Amino acid sequence: MSELLRALAVLSEPPSRQAARVADVLGLGRAPSRVEWTELFQLELPPYASIYLGGEGWIGGEARDRVAGFWRALGLVPPAEPDHLAALLGLYAEAQEAGAPESVLRALLWEHLLSWLPVYLAKTGELAPDPYRRWAELIEETLLVEAARLPSERLVPLHLRETGTVLDPREAGAEAFLETLLAPARSGVLLTRADVRNAARDLHLGLRVGERSFALRALLAQDAEATLRWLAAEAEQWAERHRRHGGALAPVDELWAQRAERTAALLEELAQTIGKEVSRV
Amino acid sequence: MNVHELEERVSAAKRETLARGETFYPGPSRIHLAAFPPKERWDEWIDVGPRGEERRVLLVPTTCFNCEAACGLLAYVDRETLQVRKFEGNPEHPGSRGRNCAKGPATLNQVTDPDRILFPLKRAGKRGEGRWEQVSWDEALDDIAARIRRALVEGRPNEIMYHVGRPGEDGYAERVLAAWGVDGHNSHTNVCSSGGRAGYAFWMGLDRPSPDHANAKVILLVSSHLESGHYFNPHAQRILEGKQRGAKLVVLDTRLSNTATHADHWLAPYPGSEPAILLAIANELIRTARYDREFVRRWWNWQEYLEREHPEVEPTFEAFERVLGELYASYTFEHAERESGVAAETLREVAELVASAGTRLATHVWRSAAAGNLGGWQVSRCLFLLNALLGAIATEGGTYPNAWNKFVPRPIYVPPHPGSWNELTWPREYPLAMFELSYLLPYFLREGRGRLEVYFTRVYNPVWTNPDGFAWIEALTDESLVGLHVALTPTWSETAFFADYILPMGVGSERHDLHSYEQYDGRWLGFRQPVLRAARERLGHPVRDTREVNPGEVWEENELWIELSWRIDPDGSLGIRRFFESRERPGEKLTVDEYYRYIFERSVPGLPERAAAEGLDPLAYMRRYGGYEVDRGIGPVFAERVPEEELVDVRVDERGRVYTRAPRPDSPNLVPLPSPEGDAEGRRPVGVLVEGEIVRGFPTPSGKLEFYSPTLADWGWPELAIPTAPRSHVHPDALEEGQAVLISTFRLPVQIHTRSANAKWLDEIAHTNPLWIHPSHAERIGVRTGDLVRVETEIGYFVVKAWVTEGIRPGIVACSHHMGRWKLGDAGQRQMMATVALEHEQGRWAMRRRSGAEPFRSNDPDTTRIWWTDVGVHQNLTFPVQPDPVSGQHCWHQRVRVRRAKPGDAYGDIAVDTERAWAAYRRWLDLARPADRHSPTGERRPYWLLRPLKPAREAYRLPERADA
Repeated sequence: MSELLRALAVLSEPPSRQAARVADVLGLGRAPSRVEWTELFQLELPPYASIYLGGEGWIGGEARDRVAGFWRALGLVPPAEPDHLAALLGLYAEAQEAGAPESVLRALLWEHLLSWLPVYLAKTGELAPDPYRRWAELIEETLLVEAARLPSERLVPLHLRETGTVLDPREAGAEAFLETLLAPARSGVLLTRADVRNAARDLHLGLRVGERSFALRALLAQDAEATLRWLAAEAEQWAERHRRHGGALAPVDELWAQRAERTAALLEELAQTIGKEVSRV
Repeated sequence: MNVHELEERVSAAKRETLARGETFYPGPSRIHLAAFPPKERWDEWIDVGPRGEERRVLLVPTTCFNCEAACGLLAYVDRETLQVRKFEGNPEHPGSRGRNCAKGPATLNQVTDPDRILFPLKRAGKRGEGRWEQVSWDEALDDIAARIRRALVEGRPNEIMYHVGRPGEDGYAERVLAAWGVDGHNSHTNVCSSGGRAGYAFWMGLDRPSPDHANAKVILLVSSHLESGHYFNPHAQRILEGKQRGAKLVVLDTRLSNTATHADHWLAPYPGSEPAILLAIANELIRTARYDREFVRRWWNWQEYLEREHPEVEPTFEAFERVLGELYASYTFEHAERESGVAAETLREVAELVASAGTRLATHVWRSAAAGNLGGWQVSRCLFLLNALLGAIATEGGTYPNAWNKFVPRPIYVPPHPGSWNELTWPREYPLAMFELSYLLPYFLREGRGRLEVYFTRVYNPVWTNPDGFAWIEALTDESLVGLHVALTPTWSETAFFADYILPMGVGSERHDLHSYEQYDGRWLGFRQPVLRAARERLGHPVRDTREVNPGEVWEENELWIELSWRIDPDGSLGIRRFFESRERPGEKLTVDEYYRYIFERSVPGLPERAAAEGLDPLAYMRRYGGYEVDRGIGPVFAERVPEEELVDVRVDERGRVYTRAPRPDSPNLVPLPSPEGDAEGRRPVGVLVEGEIVRGFPTPSGKLEFYSPTLADWGWPELAIPTAPRSHVHPDALEEGQAVLISTFRLPVQIHTRSANAKWLDEIAHTNPLWIHPSHAERIGVRTGDLVRVETEIGYFVVKAWVTEGIRPGIVACSHHMGRWKLGDAGQRQMMATVALEHEQGRWAMRRRSGAEPFRSNDPDTTRIWWTDVGVHQNLTFPVQPDPVSGQHCWHQRVRVRRAKPGDAYGDIAVDTERAWAAYRRWLDLARPADRHSPTGERRPYWLLRPLKPAREAYRLPERADA
């Protein structure tokens, strides 16, 4: 699958004439534009593993170091962005072509690709324009084929298991609550800027343009209970979405689903608490 | 189609494409494929626009002009419209290797800036009144040339001065001035890097470091080189390579800069305490005998030190080691902790790291602490001591002297040294200054030390950049002091407002220059060229004059200086014209094509062969690729054996310095080198005797690394002759109760001095400079983020907004460079200049902001979208001049008081008391040790030291002694 993975990797880089030809060969219907690329990869869903696997939900940090460590373990100098989707797919393709042992491919696949990409690609499929939607489906199909070929006997990757969960604002404060809610590995929920806009629209609340945490804080300030319920529903949907592979990626999917369920429960509890406080007033 | 079938389809498509000789993948660097348009397609490339539209473009290389790094750019020139669509990196450039910072691509903004100066302008009212009329180039050049000619004919060569901010081609302007016979070069270097340079120069003669970051084991920066500063992009990418290979990064920076955030060890020292830290590390290396004894024994001038300073000691290396240990024993980690505020334990860890680096220690300082403190030049001297102890000099992963990683090809003419000495730039108070005392010029003019008939400012903005800008306004508006001020600039500046002529110069894609900078252990040339000229020529339309292709009547300097020189000396009677004449067509003007053809064909080893291999002549090769690597892996030049043919009637002195009567071999490389004295019998120094072998050594008087500088000792500074930690003017003991230290020189990654204010993308990202203040300090004075504060300096105050942050040490405040640009009226740069009112009464100046940036209509719709009004505060106006008595460097750090703003204070307010500014000037001048009291030779300056536009030897004599 190395050539296919490399071709798919190309699509997460800025569009170019050659990328358009690759899109054509892949049967994506049409080539994505730079505007679409920017919207998806720069603004909504930056394709870096560290965002989706790290406890902070940021690019870089320990999560990126862990990926870089894998490059080093293979005797390679990690590139500047070792956890970028294109770099990881390219690495997998190279390792496969170079005849790397199955143990290496399995580790790369389960530790650094399947640990976050199903979540990422699910959201891409929901948000992205047609070419990228098809592109996301193809990556997922390819990875599922690889997962079937190289099943993992181990459970979920350690680093995903050890990431904490969403912090309760009543104990840790609102700031920490929002930060951890926006860290997908903790919350099991991937909230994009578009989701926050949708929340504002669904709840008829004013949207303050800014970082997601800023915009969410503004929604909470306007109607905390409704916002928390909206978020709880979103988390429940995510729990279902994580289980969509029907067991093919069971241990990983299950952990993501449990995280989302836990988040949903916390959000619901918070909504109820606030509802009671409001009714007391 | 399932994924297996798709895999086969992609593989087949790739095979087919490759079989046609084409590239299948576009080259995303992240998956290790080709990253740039293949160079064989640069004549006909299809570029994809933001909405998928395709454009046929020519790719033409040039060199960025926004900072000194001279990174390669690739202009995407639309074949239909012949306009530049965008700039990206040039993968053929050996220094930058296709990568750029934000300032490179933003060159496009500078080209299309609706406020740019497109035609020669002449002032219509009084100087500084803000009224201009467009004039022809002929009118302007005739007027300027006539004044210069008159000054030369009447024996007033020192009244012609060229004052440069961002230099263009290495040595070009110096050669123009030498051809005119004037010592008229003036640079910005003493507000910039003189401190850093001095520390290196007293060690090894050469005044810049060239660290091999990529191969280092430990990288030690007293700078913020991952985000700004000279060569930051070429250095940053190599620092990251080093880190990727496992190197540890140590950063000394009082602020939590972007560089500090990437460090393995971030040390935030109290400003001015850096030498104490570096000497504590040195002491640890010495105390634990973890230095390279053999290197020190062979290459340091320890014998000279013992003979002169410890005649009582037997001159053996072992005795020197004992003395060395005693010299630095008091520089303990605990002492460094007391001085710097950095924990001794942390310093010990860093020392262990440095000790582990061996010869792979890459160190760097350029401005930073070296430019901030009285005695700041000892920062580089102490930093390089670590390299000298570990033998990490000119080693893989170590630090090279710059000149060995630089190539300045011999041009068609090299005029002789001028015969005069200009005391306006090289006053006798500062015999050891690395560069001109440029920022003291207004004071010298007002003191009657001289006047200027024609004063060129060239991409330089002293009114804004230099301390005490009001002194500059006073001097520039006094026509008895400055007869004619000509501003050569691509964009409006506070200095250009006070010019008689503004002559529009091209930006990086509109002019020729040749560059070579020390960015790794290799030597390269980068060719800046007017890209539309090169594009037209590639399409078969020759261009004779760059103005034909530049916007409006924007010109380039190479052609300008040739034209101006002809007008100064139209008949050749002054002996000037001959340096600007064609050799191919005698009697006609030299063209830039001939000028560069000569260089590329005769002075660049290997280039003709490389070009021929591609079926090109050397000039066409450079126009096509924009860069050429002369060689790499230069290695330790100091250890190279001197060839037999250079050893004629050799004499070796008692310390091993070797002199020869063999003439210096001709070299195509004219990189400036120091010129140590010959012997009394007329031989020149050629090397040094080490272990029975005559090797090149270092270009110092001793031929060795000068741990002990006899130059410093002999010219009045014996107490500073070895690396030491002098007390800064901002040392806590020098502060009054309630005073803080202001750090004012740090840069923002996306701006460059005042030259990038015409780049809208950069302005949108960075357009203000709040005062960094620690929460504890802010609480003490009752200030929160966004509150106005008054920062009081010795000569006045400015009013700025506070930014409360833990990214700065308590007791230190910081305010960035670049910001606070202003204009007095309509003329000026509207996206980054506030409109201000100036008041001047009885020695007091005041500036008050009338309006900030505002949206405006122009041919660029983006100017209607300007959403920022704040453009920062011009703090430099409130700084007194503070010349370091040795290096001449302006010591930028300020002792200040920070208070809540007073009622009536408004953002951007400035007030300055000229009398106090003069008092500060005199106080600092008193620190100097003038040549006429301290010169051991009767000369103005040690002849061996580097000096731009070095005059003839006779001009070095101090006049009094010459008379005697």
